Amino acid sequence: MDAIVVNGVTKRFRKPYDKTLKGFFISLVKREKLYKEFVALNGVSFSVKKSEGFAIIGKNGAGKSTLFKVLSGIITQDEGEVKINGTVAPLIELSAGLSGDLTGEENIRLNCAIFGLTRKQIEEVYPDIVAFSELEEFIDTPVKFYSSGMKARLGFSIAVHIDTDIILIDEVLAVGDKDFREKCEAKMQELKQRGKTLVIVSHSLNPLKKICDRALILEKGKVVDIGDIHSMIEKYQGKKKKKKK
Amino acid sequence: MLAELKKYKELIYFLVHKEVRIRYRNSLFGFFWSLLEPLGLMIIYTIVFALILKLSRGIDNYPLYILSGLIPWVFFNDTLKKSMQSLSRNASLIKKIYFPREIFPFTTLIANVVANFLPAMLLVIALALILQPGEISWFKMLFAPGIVLLQAVFTFGLSLVLSVLNVFYRDVEFISNLVLRGWMYLSPIIYPLSFVPEEYFNFYVLNPMAVIVSLYHDLFYSNLQTVPTWSIFYVIVFSIIQLFVAMLIFKRLNRRVGEVI
Repeated sequence: MDAIVVNGVTKRFRKPYDKTLKGFFISLVKREKLYKEFVALNGVSFSVKKSEGFAIIGKNGAGKSTLFKVLSGIITQDEGEVKINGTVAPLIELSAGLSGDLTGEENIRLNCAIFGLTRKQIEEVYPDIVAFSELEEFIDTPVKFYSSGMKARLGFSIAVHIDTDIILIDEVLAVGDKDFREKCEAKMQELKQRGKTLVIVSHSLNPLKKICDRALILEKGKVVDIGDIHSMIEKYQGKKKKKKK
Repeated sequence: MLAELKKYKELIYFLVHKEVRIRYRNSLFGFFWSLLEPLGLMIIYTIVFALILKLSRGIDNYPLYILSGLIPWVFFNDTLKKSMQSLSRNASLIKKIYFPREIFPFTTLIANVVANFLPAMLLVIALALILQPGEISWFKMLFAPGIVLLQAVFTFGLSLVLSVLNVFYRDVEFISNLVLRGWMYLSPIIYPLSFVPEEYFNFYVLNPMAVIVSLYHDLFYSNLQTVPTWSIFYVIVFSIIQLFVAMLIFKRLNRRVGEVI
């Protein structure tokens, strides 16, 4: 069974969005159109197999983040359907959901609770998360005093220790120092072997080769091609070079 | 929706705990503010409305009358105002992870019950025991949890709708502040029900808060004019229907919350 099936997903955004009622009524009176539409995703279809590493690559504005948010359920598509078999833990910009006023410990608990873990489960994974993040000394410090590297480590540690079937990762490989990055890569390999599905959205290509099996190239909201990771990266880079000339 | 809320028990517990703790963190009296504030209001209202405006005709122990109506009102008012901002305040979380967003207005309600309303109601009971110990009937107190539940259902329905509307239009906040001010004067808080002209009385009790507030008064007083029985059933039915409609509206508008917040 496929872990994720996306079928003909289209998402349109309303561009000039006026946040006041006044604006709304003025537009009504003037009989002008209330919004202009912008198509962020246009009939995107693909499927991800279980325990596969799947990469979504594309330039800024290609619709990667929108697709990511649709997959994690933060925004709802206008057309098409998204079928997800299993539980999903999204991880965005690595500081996903870390609230600044809370300490590291509280953030771990909050994030675990958001993913629906019971108190017993939280007590069980808590030591592992702290150990993996290597933040024992700062765990009682409010997160707002953390450096971006520390936040990244904490965020990543939480996401990989919550026992979900599918992990969505956005630009994870860009942050953190070399040692931690290697640790993350090893961890992701391990997760894959344990049957977890990884979906990674990125534009830094090289680390993807190690983790992902297949890739999807997205351009202006449309799927350009889906296939083996190496050939896709070649294709993507080839295109970029042509444009430069 | 309720099944979903149950699944996230741990998260609700965490958020309530956090909200209660943050609320009084940087203040000297801490938790006692939830008692000092109503006491202060009681003194102000008693001076203005009993001593100056003489609205206390026919009411024994006017400070108790004020307090027993004002505390449920403050609970209603504060819960609505806080839940209205609960989604927008947690935008950073909502934009990143999906989980049932009803949790935010819901935890606001629970935190208000636990941290403000219940301690303040104990204060009212203590005041009643001091001022008129003979008047208190413990039999009537058995109805108190039911009245609190009714008010909670009514308040939650309204706060669900307002919280999600406020994400789309910030005007909701300004309009609501004004409406709440008027609403308070249309509920029997500073004056007794007997002040309401008879020809308007049936319209007056269509306001659910008027019925709820006077039910609280009836817990402590037996000699006041009270609301007709039909209006109590009307409020119960109204609150339940409102809650279901509110859930539908919330579900509908929730689809676009992730993009506009």
